[in-house]
Amino acid sequence: MAKSSNIPNRSKVLVRRETRSAYLFLLPNMIFFVGFVIIPMILCIYTSFFDSTMGKNAKDVFIGFQNYIELWTDPIFLRALKNTFVIVLVSVPVVCIFSLWVSASIYKLKGPILSTFRCIFYLPVVTGSVAVTVVWKWMYNNYYGIFNYLGQGLGVIDKNINWLGDERFALWCIILILFTTSIGQPIVLYISALGNVDTSLVEASEVDGATNFQKFWKIKWPLIMPTTLYILVITTINSFQCFALIQLLTSGGPNHSTDTVMYYIYYTAFKRYRYGYGNAMGVVLAIFIALLSAVQFKLAKEK
Amino acid sequence: MKKKRFLALGLSLVMALSLTACGGGNDAAQQPAEDAAATEEPAPAEEAAPAEDTAAADDAAGDAQTEEAAGGDLSADITLWTYPIGNWGDSATVDSLVASFNAKYPNIGVTVEYLDYTNGDDQVNTAIEGGQAPDLVMEGPERLVANWGARGLMVDLSDLFATEAGGEIYESVNAACKGTDGKYYEYPLCMVAHCMAINQNVFEAADAMQYVDAENHTWTTDDFLKAVQAVYDSGQTNVGAIYCSGQGGDQGTRAIINNMYSSTFTNAEHTAYTANTPENIKALETLYAQDGINFDAAINGGEEITLFRNGTLAMSFCWNAAQQTNTDNSAAGTTNNGDTILPMLFPSDDGKTELCGGIWGFGIFDNGDQAKIDAAKAFIDFICNDADQVKDSVKASTYFPVRPTLTGIYDGTEIADTMNEFSTYFMPSMGDYYQVVPGWAEARTEWWNMLQRIGTGGDVATEVETFVTNANAAAAQ
Repeated sequence: MAKSSNIPNRSKVLVRRETRSAYLFLLPNMIFFVGFVIIPMILCIYTSFFDSTMGKNAKDVFIGFQNYIELWTDPIFLRALKNTFVIVLVSVPVVCIFSLWVSASIYKLKGPILSTFRCIFYLPVVTGSVAVTVVWKWMYNNYYGIFNYLGQGLGVIDKNINWLGDERFALWCIILILFTTSIGQPIVLYISALGNVDTSLVEASEVDGATNFQKFWKIKWPLIMPTTLYILVITTINSFQCFALIQLLTSGGPNHSTDTVMYYIYYTAFKRYRYGYGNAMGVVLAIFIALLSAVQFKLAKEK
Repeated sequence: MKKKRFLALGLSLVMALSLTACGGGNDAAQQPAEDAAATEEPAPAEEAAPAEDTAAADDAAGDAQTEEAAGGDLSADITLWTYPIGNWGDSATVDSLVASFNAKYPNIGVTVEYLDYTNGDDQVNTAIEGGQAPDLVMEGPERLVANWGARGLMVDLSDLFATEAGGEIYESVNAACKGTDGKYYEYPLCMVAHCMAINQNVFEAADAMQYVDAENHTWTTDDFLKAVQAVYDSGQTNVGAIYCSGQGGDQGTRAIINNMYSSTFTNAEHTAYTANTPENIKALETLYAQDGINFDAAINGGEEITLFRNGTLAMSFCWNAAQQTNTDNSAAGTTNNGDTILPMLFPSDDGKTELCGGIWGFGIFDNGDQAKIDAAKAFIDFICNDADQVKDSVKASTYFPVRPTLTGIYDGTEIADTMNEFSTYFMPSMGDYYQVVPGWAEARTEWWNMLQRIGTGGDVATEVETFVTNANAAAAQ
């Protein structure tokens, strides 16, 4: 009796010790997470209610929701918001559909051929963004870029187009680069997900006379839905946070036609030193990302 | 179980310690400059400042002896952050200058950090906010005086201006280094006047040299426009570019627009922006309508220079002596394919070009440590005033001295002729140093945004008015 009642007590002590050890292992990471993610997040929300310049002698003034109200009357922010949504609404579906199409076409390939395709599509992801951007900048160059050269050579355009200097084209040029640098990861994920679809289900549907489309739509698509959801969320967040391309290529120009919310946050906070206003934009952007992600989760669940 | 706990604690410690190690990485990276300085043998006073026959040299020698005495007393570790001003952005050159300083001041350690114009301001401002501002910073009045000085972050350098060398500084330069409160926040070392340049071979082929006074490097606005048209008509459709993708090199676009019909960018007191004059509007409208001149929102000043050097453009609005002596891609004064580059004053209707200038020197951040402030002042005094040192200091900048008594800086060098040419034909046209007007950083952004709007068809008068309104609003803050 004494022995049997001792066992649970000992295992409780064991569990407690193991839990403590686990927390100790987690501690360094938690310190980082709290110090560099949680606290800055709280500070960001807190500072967004102040007219904060964070200067050495500057005093932050509490202004309530004034920064948030100003946002909706700031034409540059509204244009940046519109541009950001254009990027998200165009690039997210295009990236998902294109990467699914490519993956569905190549996932059955074997050995080096599949590896070659994976490598080609993944290359822009692992190449440094600055190097990629510089190459694209050359290709878009108004005077000697390859697009103008090909366009004129093929008779598509009669004179050079200033791709990045013309507000009719600049944002679409950014979206094209974003597209090429975004498809690598989804393709790899989709190839893996499609390869893991239970072949017995597919074979059973074939026995029942299912067409290729029906096999994809009724069997494969639902099975790869978790991967699709992950890709949607990640691509959406990446698109919302498009910054480096803008900074390196256009600085938001011409005439704010390529300003995104992320770039405008940077510009407001670190060029105009209006940290409070910049943080208010950051909070709004976070809300938009959260809302869109929630919608994506909900739609995926319903599917 | 105890083993596990110890392991966990140990790992935590390792993580924390490795973090500390990471934090110290910068110091390690900065070490070479200190090392280079430390390995130099301190020179005797006589060697450091040999007596010369001139009175100035006698004074300098006297000063040097005083400094030597003071040098032994001064002891501090200071940090110098420098923007890429000629070879002041090159570690080998700066190490050598610091080594010369340490020969006289062996107890002052100088750690150097090199900034660039893309991220430098962010780095300095982040450091200021974190209470880690450098002791010394090398840049121009628009930052040292109008920005950090006006914000009360800098040490007053009036005592340096009270020295004999300080009293010789050009009046216009002296004025640019003084804040609105009458205190000096920059001690200047060098200066340059920015100009423009043309591809002489292309102009000759287009028979456009008839509009250029090549001997005096000047032309009138009418002749400039005729020359551009001639080059355009010869088949070179891209003659010049009003670059406006960002602020880089924006002094060139301001200068061409302000000079064409003799107008201004700010008022004489440097308190307000006055670019909305009929003359400036006329200049912008003329440039916009001119064949061969593109308002290009995809390039900045640096990229325009590249296009000029590779022959895509026939003229550059972003030129100076350092560009003329640059040999990175071809012989000095030539384009990549060997065409002759002719530096030119900006065209004006009255024959009086006012060039935008650059003045660079040192400022000291008030970090509350008098020993460091004294050491930083000793560094400035040595680099800018020491008779045996100052020529090397200026030469390192590849620009010109701020004192008329400092001559022959580049004598005996390959670039002597070019520098003399710039001294003769360009430096005298240095105009008002208006960059100290309040709200300068915001105004620069407003400027290239305005050019972008005009380039995409915006009404010139409206857009210039918008620029002035926004810039003056920034100035008033």
